[in-house]
Amino acid sequence: MTTAHFSPRANAVLAFFSGRLLPVTLVAICVIFALIEPAFLSPENLIGIVHQVSIIGIMAVGMTFVIMTGGIDLSVGPVMAFAGVCAAYTLEASGGNVGLAALAALTLAISIGLFQGLCVAVLGLPSLVVTLAGMSIVRGTALLTGGPDLHLIRGPESFLFIGSGQISGVPFSVFVFAAMIAVAIFLQYRTVFGLTVLAVGDNERAAYLSGRRVRVVKAATYVLCSFGAGVAGIVLASQVHTAASTYGAGIELDVIASVVIGGTSLMGGTGSVPRTVAGVFLIGIMNNGLALMNVPIEMQLIAKGLIIVLALALADRPWQFSR
Amino acid sequence: MTGAPLLRARGLGKTFGTLVALADASVEIRAGEVRSLVGANGAGKSTLIKILTGAIRPTTGEVEIGGEIVETGRPAEMLARGVACIYQHSNLAPAMSVLDNIFLGRQPTRGLGLLDRPRQRREAEALIARYEIDLDLDATVADLPTVKQKEVEIAKALSLDAKILLMDEPTAWLAHEEVANLFRTIRTLKRNGVGIVYISHILDEIFEVCDTVTVLRDGRVVADWNIADITRQQLLQKFIGERLAADAGAHARRSRSARGTGTVKLAVNHLGRKGLFEGIDFEVYAGEIFCITGLIGSKRTELVRSIFGADRFDSGTIVIDGTEVRPRNPADGIGRGVGFVPEDRHRDGLMLKMSVEQNLIMSALGDVTDWGLMRRSRIADMSRAAIADLNILPPEPHKEVAKLSGGNQQKVLIGKWLQIHPDILLLDEPTVGVDVGAKAEIYTILRKLKAEGRAILVVSSDMEEVMTIADRIMVMRSGRMVGIWDADAVTQQEIVAYVGGE
Amino acid sequence: MIRTARLPNRELIIVFVVTIAVFCWLSGSFRTTGNLENVLIGFSHTAILAVGQSLPLLLGGIDLSVGSIMALAGMAAFDAYIVLGLPGWIVLPGALVLATLAGAVNGVLIAKLKLQPFIATLATMAAYRGLTYAISGRQIWPEIATRPITDPLIVAFDDYVGHVPYAFFLLLIVFAVVQLLLGVTKFGRDLYTIGGNVEAARLCGINVDRAVIISYSISGLCAGFAALVLVSRMTTSTESLGIGIEMSAIAAAIIGGVSLQGGIGNVFGPVIGAFLLGVVLIGLNLVGIPTYAQPVLTGLILLGAVWYDRLLVQRRARAILAKQAANP
Repeated sequence: MTTAHFSPRANAVLAFFSGRLLPVTLVAICVIFALIEPAFLSPENLIGIVHQVSIIGIMAVGMTFVIMTGGIDLSVGPVMAFAGVCAAYTLEASGGNVGLAALAALTLAISIGLFQGLCVAVLGLPSLVVTLAGMSIVRGTALLTGGPDLHLIRGPESFLFIGSGQISGVPFSVFVFAAMIAVAIFLQYRTVFGLTVLAVGDNERAAYLSGRRVRVVKAATYVLCSFGAGVAGIVLASQVHTAASTYGAGIELDVIASVVIGGTSLMGGTGSVPRTVAGVFLIGIMNNGLALMNVPIEMQLIAKGLIIVLALALADRPWQFSR
Repeated sequence: MTGAPLLRARGLGKTFGTLVALADASVEIRAGEVRSLVGANGAGKSTLIKILTGAIRPTTGEVEIGGEIVETGRPAEMLARGVACIYQHSNLAPAMSVLDNIFLGRQPTRGLGLLDRPRQRREAEALIARYEIDLDLDATVADLPTVKQKEVEIAKALSLDAKILLMDEPTAWLAHEEVANLFRTIRTLKRNGVGIVYISHILDEIFEVCDTVTVLRDGRVVADWNIADITRQQLLQKFIGERLAADAGAHARRSRSARGTGTVKLAVNHLGRKGLFEGIDFEVYAGEIFCITGLIGSKRTELVRSIFGADRFDSGTIVIDGTEVRPRNPADGIGRGVGFVPEDRHRDGLMLKMSVEQNLIMSALGDVTDWGLMRRSRIADMSRAAIADLNILPPEPHKEVAKLSGGNQQKVLIGKWLQIHPDILLLDEPTVGVDVGAKAEIYTILRKLKAEGRAILVVSSDMEEVMTIADRIMVMRSGRMVGIWDADAVTQQEIVAYVGGE
Repeated sequence: MIRTARLPNRELIIVFVVTIAVFCWLSGSFRTTGNLENVLIGFSHTAILAVGQSLPLLLGGIDLSVGSIMALAGMAAFDAYIVLGLPGWIVLPGALVLATLAGAVNGVLIAKLKLQPFIATLATMAAYRGLTYAISGRQIWPEIATRPITDPLIVAFDDYVGHVPYAFFLLLIVFAVVQLLLGVTKFGRDLYTIGGNVEAARLCGINVDRAVIISYSISGLCAGFAALVLVSRMTTSTESLGIGIEMSAIAAAIIGGVSLQGGIGNVFGPVIGAFLLGVVLIGLNLVGIPTYAQPVLTGLILLGAVWYDRLLVQRRARAILAKQAANP
C-alpha cells in the first residue's frame, strides 16, 4: 500500500533518473570538461584516465562484493601498501624473480583478507570495526617490517612493465583492470558465488536456512577484496618504482565512494560490478578534469569530498518510495 | 454497555495514483466499546488505520473526534486528540526500564531539561494502578516476556491520555495464556471508557473480546454488526465472499489419511536439547500431514529447527528412511531431502530485494548449475514451472519479491522448497499473516504434496488450521510432548484442552 | 534488577587494576610518578575523545572524523595566533567553535542527508584533513613554521598541579558534564531511546535529527578540546595532528562498555578504557616493544573489545531466552 505520493508523471521522471542518474551524470561531467578544456577529449588523455583509475578500479571491483553482502573493508589502503613492500622485498631477496614476488604479495594480501573475513563471518564481528582495526594492524605491521622509508625498485624490466609498460599504446595496467572487471562480472552473474553474495546481503538468515554456505561466501568476499588490494599494490609499486608502508592513506574513501556512487547500497543486497566501474570512472574523470583545470590539490580534495557526499546523498535516497 | 461516540469517520477514501486503497469507509467508535476491524489482506484495513493515526491524509471524507472535525494527515494532532496505536512490531527501547519506556520521549522534567524522577514514578504508579496493569517499573524491557511488553505499550499509550486505542494484531506473537492476560487488560480499559479498535485475523478472539465488528472488503465497509447478533459462518462469509467459506469446512474431513502409505519417512526418538525440549518421540509417514501444535513458547519451532539442522540437539536420534542422521546445518538437511518453511518469512524466509526467480532457485542451485556455473535456460524453466504450479501472481519471474502480496510471498517461499523435491517438508506456521484466499490455496498445495507421497510436518497454533489439514496431531507443552492423536479421533475442544494443560 | 548498562564497568575496573599491578611488577620504571605523568598526559586527550565518541556510538553511529577535526582546530588555532596574532582568549573559544561546527556538519550530513554515519564521517575525515592543508599557515609561510605558540592561556593545559596535568582536570570536567547530560536530563534519555529503537523514538515525538546533530557536535567539541591539549603541549600544530587517533577513541569507548548496537553504555567506561589502553601501550613500551607495534596493539585490543562486546550481546540474548523459558 505504500506507493508514492508523487503524480504518475513525476514518478516516471524520478524512476528514469533513479535508474540512469549515474550514466547521465557521467556524460554531463564529460561534456562540461570537454567544453572548458578541449584537451580533455584527446585519446592520450582518455587512455591516461583509464590508466589513472586502474588502481582504484581494481580495488573497487573487489570491494563491490564485500559491500553487496552488507559489509565494508576499510583496510584496502594498508593492504595495498604492505603488498607493495612485500613485493619489493621478495624481488630483492630472490634476485628479481617477478613470479615469486607477485605470489608472495598476493599470498600476503589473501591471508590478511582471510583473517578479516573469518573475524566477520565466523566470529560475527561488525566488518566496520574489524577492518578499522585491520587497517591499523596492517599499517603497523608494514611499518615494523619495512620502516617508514621508500624502497626503490630497480628492476627487473618485466616487473616494471606491469605498471609502466604498454601494449600497442595502451598501458598494461589497463589490461589488468580489464581482466579484473571481466572476472568479477563473470563471478557476479554466472556463478553460485555471485548469487549467494546478493542473497547474503539481502537476508543472511534466509540464505543460511536455504542451505547456502553463508560463512564461506562472506569470508571469500573479504579475500577477494584484499586480493584486489594486493594486485593494486603490485601495479602501484611497479608504476612508481618504489614501495612504502605509508602508501594508500585515505584511498579507501575513493574506493568505497566509487562503489557506492555506482549504486551499490551499503545495506547490501543490491549492486553490480558494471555500475561500480562507472562509479570509478566518474571519480577518475572528476580528478582528471580538476587537475587539467589546474585546481590546487587541497581544493581538489575538498571539492571531491563535497561531490562524493552529494552523490552519496542522492544515491542512498529511495526515490520510488516515500514514507 | 457502550457510551457516547468518541470518533466518527465518514466516507473515508484514499487513492494512490490509480490504485484505490480505500473507497468509502465510515466507522464509529464509542467509549467502552471494542470494535473489531476485519477483512482480507488488501481490503483497506491498514489504510484506514493509517488515516486514523494521521500517518496519511484521506482523499475524501472526514474524521470527527469529540464532536469536532479534525485536520487529518497529522500524527501529532491525532495523538493530541487521544488516538493512539499499538503496532505489531515493538515500539519500545529494549535496553531501558519500563518506567522510562512508559514516558518514552516525554519524561517529565523540572525545567532546564532535568529529569523529574520522583514525579515520573508517581505518575506511572497512578496509571498502572488505575488500569490494573501489573508491571514492575524497574524491570528492563528486554527482560520481559512479550505480553508484558505489549502491556508496557498500552501503558505508554494510556499515559498520553489515549481515549481511543488502535491495536494492530496485538496477539500475533503472543502465547495462549498471554492472550488471556491481554484480554483481561482490554476489559479493564473498557470499563474505564476507552474505545478500542481491534484488528485480528483470528475469529475466536473477535468473538471473545469484541462488541461490534466492521467488515471491510475491497476498500468498502460491507457490514457493521453487533457481535452478539451474528454467527462465525456469517462473519466468515462476509469477509471472504460466499463460495470460499462453504468449501473450507467440508473439505477437511474427506481427505484425511492417517499414517499415509504406511512407510515411515522420519522418525524422531527421544530427541532433546538442554533447556528447550526433551523426550520427543514421533514418526511421520509418507503421504500424511502431521501437525504439531501447542502454545507459543512450547518449543515447537526449536524442535523443527533441530530436525532440519538449523540448530543442534543434545540427545536422542533422528532417523530418515531407516538411517540415523545428525544434520549439522541446513545444507545437510537439504541434502537428505528435508525442506523447512520458517515462520517469519520476512526475517528467515525470503530475499525481499531479489526476484521471484532468484528466490525460487535459492535452495536448489545444484539442479540449475554445473560446477558452480548458472545455467540460464534451466533456471528459467524451473521458475516458469513453479510460478504456474503455485499460481504465483503476478506471474513475472523477474518481479521483486517485496512487491508481491503476503499470500504470494508465502507461495514463493513454499515454492522454493518444492524445487528440492523434498521427501520431508517441515512448515512452521505456513499461513500466518496471509489472507483467507491464499490460505485455501496453500492447503491445496499441501494436500497435493501429501497425495504425491511426501511426509509433511506442520507446526501451527491455529486450531482451525490444525483441524482442517492434519491427519495426526501432536501436542507439545513446555518442551515436552503431551500426546499424539488421529485427527478423526479427537475434537478441537479436546485438543485445546491438551494444549492448555487440562 | 541488574542494570545492563553498568555491568561491563565492574569487570573493566578489575582488568584495569590487574593490568597496572602486572606492569608494576614487570617494570621498575613503570611504578614511578614520572610514568604516572606520562600516562595522564599521554592519554587524557584520548579519554576526552572517547567521551565524545560515546555519544555517536550510543546513537548506533560512529564518528571517524575526530582526528581530522583535531587537525583542523589545531591548525586554525596556529593560524589565528601565529599568522593573525590574535590573543589566546579569542583563539581558544574560536578553535572550539570551529571544532563544534565541524561536528555539526557531520550531524547534518547524517540527520538531514540521511547518510550512513560511517560513510559521512569517512568523507569528512578526508575533507577536514584537506581543509587543514588548505588553511595551513605552515605551508604558505614555511619560515614561521617553527615559531612556537607562547600565549600563556593556550599553553596552560601543559601545566601541572603536582604530578597531575591540567589536561586531566579538563577531562574530569568534560566527563562530568557529559555524564550528567546522559544521566539526569531528558536529552540523555532521548539519546538512549534513539539508540535503542529509532522508530519508536520518532513515533513518540523525539526530535531525532536534532539529537543526532547535537551528539556529533559534542563529539566535535571534544575533538577540539583534545586538539588544544596537544597544541599546548607541542606549542605548535601540524597537518598530521591526530591521524589514526579515531581508532584509539573508538577502541576506548567499546572497551568501556559502549555497545556498537547503540543504546547501551555510559561515559565512565570509556575514560577507564582510554587509560587502560594507555597503560598497556606505555607499559609494553617500557618492557621494550617498538613504537610501530603500537597501532598493531591498538588494533588487536579493539578487535578483542568488539569480540567481548559481541559475547555480552549473546549472553544478554541467552539470559532473555532463559527468563522467558522460566515464566512462559
